[in-house]
Amino acid sequence: MRRICTTGLVLLALFLLLAAAGCRSGDSPAKTAEKPVPSTPAVYTIADSTGDWGFPSPFAHYQRGPGYIRMSLLFDTLVWKDEKGFIPALAESWSCDESGKVWTFKLRDGVRWHDGRPFTAEDAAFSLNYAKEHAYKFTDLAPVEKAEAPDKKTLVVTLDAPYAPFLDNIAGTLPLIPKHIWSAVKDPETFQEPAALVGTGPFKYGDYNKAQGTYHYLANEDYYGGRVTVKELRFVKMDEGTAPAALRRKEINAASVPPESIEALAQEGFTVIKSPYYWNAKLMINHKKEPFSSREFRQALAYIIDRQEIVDVAQRGQARAGNPGFIPPDSKWYAPDAEQYAPSPEKAAALLESLGYRKGADGFYAREGRPLTVELIAASALPGASLARDAEVIKQQLEKAGIRVDLRLLESKTVDDRVLKWQFDLAVSGHGGLGGDPVQLNRSVTGKGFNSARFEADPELLKALKAQVRATDEAQRKALVQKAQILYAQDVPALTLYYPDWYWAHDGSVPLFYTEGGVALGVPVPLNKMAFVK
Amino acid sequence: MRGRWLSYPVALILILAFSFALPRLMPGDPLQAIYGGEMLTEMSPEAYAELERRYGLDRPLAEQILVYLERLAQGDLGRSYYFGCPVPEVIGGALPWTLLLAGSAFVLSSLLAIWLGIESGWRRNGTTGHGLLWLIGLVNGFPDFFLGILFLLLFGVLLNWFPLAGAMTPYAGYTGWALALDVARHLALPLAVLTLTNLTAVFLLTRGSMVTVLGERFVLTARAKGLRDRVVRYRHAGRAALSPVTARLGVRFGQLFTGAVFVEVVFSYPGIGGLLHNALTMRDYPLLQGLFLLITVSVLAANALADCILVRVDPRAGHAH
Repeated sequence: MRRICTTGLVLLALFLLLAAAGCRSGDSPAKTAEKPVPSTPAVYTIADSTGDWGFPSPFAHYQRGPGYIRMSLLFDTLVWKDEKGFIPALAESWSCDESGKVWTFKLRDGVRWHDGRPFTAEDAAFSLNYAKEHAYKFTDLAPVEKAEAPDKKTLVVTLDAPYAPFLDNIAGTLPLIPKHIWSAVKDPETFQEPAALVGTGPFKYGDYNKAQGTYHYLANEDYYGGRVTVKELRFVKMDEGTAPAALRRKEINAASVPPESIEALAQEGFTVIKSPYYWNAKLMINHKKEPFSSREFRQALAYIIDRQEIVDVAQRGQARAGNPGFIPPDSKWYAPDAEQYAPSPEKAAALLESLGYRKGADGFYAREGRPLTVELIAASALPGASLARDAEVIKQQLEKAGIRVDLRLLESKTVDDRVLKWQFDLAVSGHGGLGGDPVQLNRSVTGKGFNSARFEADPELLKALKAQVRATDEAQRKALVQKAQILYAQDVPALTLYYPDWYWAHDGSVPLFYTEGGVALGVPVPLNKMAFVK
Repeated sequence: MRGRWLSYPVALILILAFSFALPRLMPGDPLQAIYGGEMLTEMSPEAYAELERRYGLDRPLAEQILVYLERLAQGDLGRSYYFGCPVPEVIGGALPWTLLLAGSAFVLSSLLAIWLGIESGWRRNGTTGHGLLWLIGLVNGFPDFFLGILFLLLFGVLLNWFPLAGAMTPYAGYTGWALALDVARHLALPLAVLTLTNLTAVFLLTRGSMVTVLGERFVLTARAKGLRDRVVRYRHAGRAALSPVTARLGVRFGQLFTGAVFVEVVFSYPGIGGLLHNALTMRDYPLLQGLFLLITVSVLAANALADCILVRVDPRAGHAH
């Protein structure tokens, strides 16, 4: 436990020290605005603090966004997204019939796999069927009934019911693989040879080193989508706190950087880009247990917990206070009308008193002689987050309002396990995935995982959630998603505390951008392969 | 003496049992730890069951341990859940770097600590002896990660003498001496930090032991024989002072693998420490078992070696049983 705690301390100390170094060397205010756009370098290097995200084949990379990104440089999908929305990829055009169940894709002509063989509709149909058969884990293929190739240039995908996230989460996420290589592969996860990395993407495989956490890609000169602007692309392993210094030394071209360093970097001429809100810290509430099973009690908690104070104190202002409706305010699916629970000790007191709680002489609530004490658990350290400090602030806020808190800091996976098994009262936890398709809202409310509130007590909310996934008309869907958020905020099955600020800095030589709704099904990094294609 | 050698296989069996049981006693399960956190994807119950089947986690524990032992007997350490490839491959990628970094730090810090300890014990009443004690006490006050950040900031960022991260320049195409130089340049800072922070314990032990030994009669005898200072200091007193130190070094050997974890983090250096941390958070049972096995077998081997050396350094030890 101490060790994990100290890891957090290491990271924190690194940030502070290196940020301090950054401020010191950053006092040349003159050269901000009119910097020339640097010419595109032959070799582009990106730093990553984890390094190893797995062998970059569709089936072998680790089940995390950065693993998907490393694969997506080699493999293309039917459709793709840029900063505005969908763009053609291996499919030139696509359409859906009136039933909302049959999608037809017209495929691009003259595309070749990295090994020179032509790409056909048969490869596309094979990819979908193979992924379904071998339980491709990065997206849910359950809605797909079948995929067929009536001719060399047409792919027809039939769903068992209309599925609104189809383009984002299936057509825009599933990598297409060559039939002539994969049809003989029985166990796709252990198939880790160079042949497993033959795609149609803008880059060809150069090297992957697990121990060093490095990747090397070479430009695909024959890319159908345009000219690849860099000759080589590299990923190297480097701590986030060290990245600003490496950027200044020109050892790397781009990296995720700590918020403390962005001002100095921007002044020195680096391009700093801010991530859309994607991750949320969340107060999990055991709504299956007294007193949290009462909606009024949960609402009282929401009135007591001052989310802005958590941002200011525990997050040093580097975050945005959470929306009780879950979806972040910068999303097009955000519901501005959801209850915001502006901190109000009076409203909280009224709600608690209506439930029979009375404040004693010691300033703490009790009911029928039994003092009101809740247990709050939080992870002692999670990379990039500081949930323990959030929990300290929440404890203070609750105790000030008259609720005794027993705070326990545990190892992060132990917290997850206790939440999953409902062995908790309150837990500070957090998860990502907020930038993508609003099917995320469903996962966060009715999903089975420990990040989900697993709340099924409000039939109206369940109905809205179910309907929004089936709604193929965007305006209609938006109304349903907003309705669900309003109901969710009223029920408070869990409470989003804040969305942290994340930054990337780069030298401007490649126009990195954040993808609309995240790369593919919502990966929140500004590493869209189209930034490297002209 | 024979009973002592018998204790090693017994220890090994116990270790195998523990390395199987301990990871499974931790709360949480690997599938949740590895797949549960990613909200972009949600695993269907069928996929979850399929994974359980694939990893054999749906079997009773007794069956799992039998399968584990059976495979182990055939030299099969299993496949890492998180990394998706055979455990020896995962460990093999990190091990050379740990041996290079932590191994050299172990040798360097031990030699340095023994030398300084003997010198400091010899001059226990002089300024040099006191000065050394004070200086090493000061270094001991710095946690390794803090010293690491300090060194990185000073010699890496500000002075620009050393690289900032990693164990080598990736894809630089170096070969031969250029490669060796590149690896050495990357090694310098983490090695210096680890050597300094590992110094204290052995230094203090050597010094204390030296001070005790210096009061013994054979030292007086040696001096009375008119031997030179240096000979008395190292061949007589120093050698006798080393027996507790040797035993301690055997025990410290286990920390070789895990003790570098913070330094690995600060310098983004590959190694076993980071691997173990990852395996713990991911509840990666096969990898944890493999790592435990590696660490405990090395500790056992080091202890056996220390026992042998002890008998040579201090012949009395051989007769003690």
